[in-house]
Amino acid sequence: MAPHKDTLFRSADMSLTQLYIANEIGREVVSALGELGVMDFRDLNAETTAFQRTFTQEIRRLDNVERQLRYFHSQMEKSDIAMRSIYDFNNILAAPSASEIDELTDRSQGLEARITGLNDSYETLKKREMELTEWRWVLREAGGFFDRARGQTEEIQQRTSEDNDDAPLLRDMEQHTEQAEQSFSVMNIGFVAGVIPRERMAAFERILWRTLRGNLYMNQSEIPEQIINPETNEGVNKNVFIIFAHGKEIIAKIRKISESLGADLYSVDENSELRRDQLHEVNTRLNDLASVLRNTKQTLDAELTQIGRSLAAWMVVVKKEKAVYETLNRFSYDQQRKTLIAEAWCPTSSLGLIKSTLQDVNDRAGLSVPTIVNQIRTSKTPPTYVKTNKFTLAFQTIIDAYGTAKYSEINPGLPTIVTFPFLFAVMFGDFGHGMLMTFAALAMIYWEKSLSRGKLDELFSMAFYGRYIMLMMGIFSMYTGLIYCDAFSKELPIFPSMWKWPEGAEEGQSVTAIRENGYTYPFGLDWMWHGTENDLLFSNSYKMKLSILMGWAHMTFSLCLSYVNARHFKSPIDIWGNFIPGMIFFQSIFGYLTWAIIYKWSVDWVSIDKNPPSLLNMLIYMFLQPGTLEDQLYSGQATLQIILVLLALVCVPIMLFLKPFYLRWEHNKARAMGYRGIGETTRVSALDDDDDDEESTTLNGGRDSYADDEDGVALITQDIGHGEEHEEFEFSEVMIHQVIHTIEFCLNCVSHTASYLRLWALSLAHQRLSIVLWDMTMKIAFGYSGAVGIVMIVVLFYLWFLLTIMVLCVMEGTSAMLHSLRLHWVEAMSKHFIGDGVAFEPFSFKVLLEEDPVE
Amino acid sequence: MANGWSLIVGLVFIVAFCGASWFLAPKGDDQTIWRSSLILSAAACYLMWAITFLAQWHPLVQPQRNDIRHLH
Repeated sequence: MAPHKDTLFRSADMSLTQLYIANEIGREVVSALGELGVMDFRDLNAETTAFQRTFTQEIRRLDNVERQLRYFHSQMEKSDIAMRSIYDFNNILAAPSASEIDELTDRSQGLEARITGLNDSYETLKKREMELTEWRWVLREAGGFFDRARGQTEEIQQRTSEDNDDAPLLRDMEQHTEQAEQSFSVMNIGFVAGVIPRERMAAFERILWRTLRGNLYMNQSEIPEQIINPETNEGVNKNVFIIFAHGKEIIAKIRKISESLGADLYSVDENSELRRDQLHEVNTRLNDLASVLRNTKQTLDAELTQIGRSLAAWMVVVKKEKAVYETLNRFSYDQQRKTLIAEAWCPTSSLGLIKSTLQDVNDRAGLSVPTIVNQIRTSKTPPTYVKTNKFTLAFQTIIDAYGTAKYSEINPGLPTIVTFPFLFAVMFGDFGHGMLMTFAALAMIYWEKSLSRGKLDELFSMAFYGRYIMLMMGIFSMYTGLIYCDAFSKELPIFPSMWKWPEGAEEGQSVTAIRENGYTYPFGLDWMWHGTENDLLFSNSYKMKLSILMGWAHMTFSLCLSYVNARHFKSPIDIWGNFIPGMIFFQSIFGYLTWAIIYKWSVDWVSIDKNPPSLLNMLIYMFLQPGTLEDQLYSGQATLQIILVLLALVCVPIMLFLKPFYLRWEHNKARAMGYRGIGETTRVSALDDDDDDEESTTLNGGRDSYADDEDGVALITQDIGHGEEHEEFEFSEVMIHQVIHTIEFCLNCVSHTASYLRLWALSLAHQRLSIVLWDMTMKIAFGYSGAVGIVMIVVLFYLWFLLTIMVLCVMEGTSAMLHSLRLHWVEAMSKHFIGDGVAFEPFSFKVLLEEDPVE
Repeated sequence: MANGWSLIVGLVFIVAFCGASWFLAPKGDDQTIWRSSLILSAAACYLMWAITFLAQWHPLVQPQRNDIRHLH
C-alpha cells in the first residue's frame, strides 16, 4: 500500500521504532528529538524506581538549579523587578550545549550565594532600622511623659506610698524644697518603656492590671506612622508605652509580661539632657543606616535586573535539560557496547525527518558510529495521534474530551468541524447575533498573536481557545438567521412575500392573509409571519419537523460511519450483525417518519380537499394498532406500515444473536484446527520469555530488550505480546455485551430522535427572548418623541445592546453550545465511536513549555 | 417564480458545488479538511433551506393579525 498522508479523517499511521544511540551523544540526540516533538518514548525501566535510574544525579543537579532560578524569580517579584519576557528571545528553541548547562549551573550557584548574602544583610539592616525607628519614637514620646509626669510627681508619690513602708517620712518638706531635682529613683520608682502592636494594647493593659493589682502608672501614645516589619514587608500600627511602678520585682514582672506579649523594650534615660543626646545619636545612626540600606538595595536591584534579563531563557534551558534526562532515564543502557537503546512510537510519515535529524546530530558530533533507527513489527496497538492545526485543534479537543479514538478508526473530529457549529446555529439562529459572534471571533483571530501571549481570565481564554469554532458558529448562525428571517428579532424582507393582506380590512378586526397564487417564498421563512397572532402555530410545527429531519440526517450520517469503520477494521460481522440490522431498524421507523413529513409537506391538502393526517398519531398507531389508520396519508399505507414494523422487529433478534454466535463459531473452528491463544498453554514465541527467564539473561544487561540472533537483525523488544490484546474468548461476555448493545441501540433510536427536539426548543426560546428584549427596551423608546425620545433611545439602546451581548449572545450561546456538544457526544458518537485508544504523548519541548509556561 | 422545481434546481446546484469543492480543494495537508467541510456545509445548508421551503410550499395555516392598519 502506498503511504498515504496523515489527515484528520483517521489517526496517523504509527511505527514502533528502536533507536541505538552512542552513549556520548545521547543527550544531544534526545534534545534534537525533543525539538521535533514526534516521538513517544516507551519506558523501558518501568520496574526501576526513580532513584535507581541512570541519570538521577543529573536530574537532581538540575532540580537544584531550577530551585535557584525560582528563588531569583521570587526575589524579583518581591522587589518588583520585571523579568524580560520569554517572547523577546528569538532563538529560544535552540538546544543548549552541555558546557552551557555547566556554566549555567556554576553561575546560578554563585549568583544564589550573592543574592542570599545581599538579602540577608539587607534584612538585618532593615531590622536594625526598624528598631532604631521604634527607639526614636519611644524617646520622643517618653520625653513627653516625663515632662508631664514631673508635674504630677506628687500625685504619683502619694499614690504609690500609701502602702509603702519605706516612704520618706517628711515627704511634705522634701516636696517643697527639692521639687525641681526630684527624681523618680529617690522615690524608688522604676519604669519600663517600649513599643507594642496596637491591637495587643488592650490585652496588655488588662494583664498588667490584674497581675500587679493596679500598682502601676501607665502612659501610652499612638505612633502616627506605621512601622514596617522587614520580614513580612507589612506595616503595623504600634503604640509607645511607659510604665512606672514601684519595686524591682514589679519592674521585672512588667518586663516579662511585655516581652511575652511581643513588645520591644528600649532604654530611656530619665534625665532630659541625656535623653536629648540619645535622640540625637539615634537620628545619626538612622541616617547612616538609611544610606547603607540604599546602597545595598541598589546593588541587589542591579544584580536582579541583570539576572532578569536572561532568567526566562535560563528557565527554559533548565526545563528542557531536565526533560531530556527524564527521557534518557526511560532508555536502557548496554554496558558492553556503550549504547543507549530506546523504543518510541512515532508517526510513520515522520520517520524520514527523524532519520535526517539524527544524521545531523551525528555529523555535528563528528561520530563515526551512526545512530540506528529500526522499525519493529509489533502486535501492540499504537497510540492514537491526530495531527491538528490551529483551526482544527479546538474541534479535535471537543472529541478528545469525550474519549480517545481507537487507533485508525474514523475521527469524528472531521465532520464535527461543520456539524457542531451548524447544530449550534440551528438553535442560535439570528442574523444579528450571528454577526456579533462572527466579528468577535474575527477580532480574536486578527489579534491572535498578542492575545495568545497575554494573560487572559478563564472565561475569555476559553472563548479564545475556541475562536475558530466561534467563527464557524457565527457564520452558520448568520445563515440560519436568514432562514428563520430574524435579525435581532426583527424581520428581513429580502424577497417579496408570498402573503398579502386583504384590502379594506377594518381596524381591530382579525384578518387572514391571502396567498399569492403559485408563489412560494424562495429563501427562508416568509417575513410576513413576524408579529402575526399565529406565527408560533406555524413556526413551532416547522421547527419541530426541522429538528426531527436534522436529527435523522445527523444520526444516519453517524451510523454510516460505523460501516466505514467496520470495513476498515475488516470485520464483516460488524456490518452484517450490527450495521445492517441497525440501519434497517432505524430507517423503518424514523426514516419512514422523515419520509412521511416530507410527503405530507409536498401534498397540496387544500386543493385536493382532504384532511391532513397527524403524523404523531400515525407513528403511535403504527405500533399500537398496526394496520389501523386515522386519516390516510396515501394509499397502501396500512400494508406498508405493517411491513415496516415487522422489518424493524425482525432486525432485533438478528442484532442480538448473529454476532456472538458467529464469533463463537469462528473461535471453535480455530481451536478445532489446533490454534491456541498466546500464553494459553505454552509460551510459543521468544517474545514472551523475558519475564520467566529474567535471571538467566541478566548477563546480557538484565532486562534489556534485545538479543542478537544469527542474522544479527532480529531485535526483540521486551513485553511486546503482553497486554490486553490476546484476551481469551468468552462467549458469555460477548453475549452480554451484545445484549446491552442491542437494547441500547433500539431504545436510543427513539430517545435520541426525541433528543433532537432540543433544536426546536432552544431556537424557539432564543427567538422569543430576543423579541421580549426588543419589546421591553427599543419598542418603548420609539414610543416617545422629541428630546425625551432621543434620551430614551440612547439610554435604552445601550441597555438593549448590553443585554443582547450578555444574555442573548454569551448566555444563550453557551447553552446552545452545550446542547450541541451533547448532541455530538451522545446522539452522534454513540452510533460509531469506539474510542478505546491511547493518546499519543510525544516528547516535545513545545508541549512541555505550553503546559508549564515560563512567564 | 419559486415552485417545486426550485428544490431540484437547488439540489443540482449543491451537487455541482460539492463536486467542485472535491476537485478544486486546495492541495496539501489540509485537502481533506477543505473537502469535508465544504461538502458538509453545503449539504447542511441545502437541507435547512429545503426543509424551510417545503414547509411553506403548501401551507396549512395562514398569517393572521388584528392590529392591521391598512398595510396595502
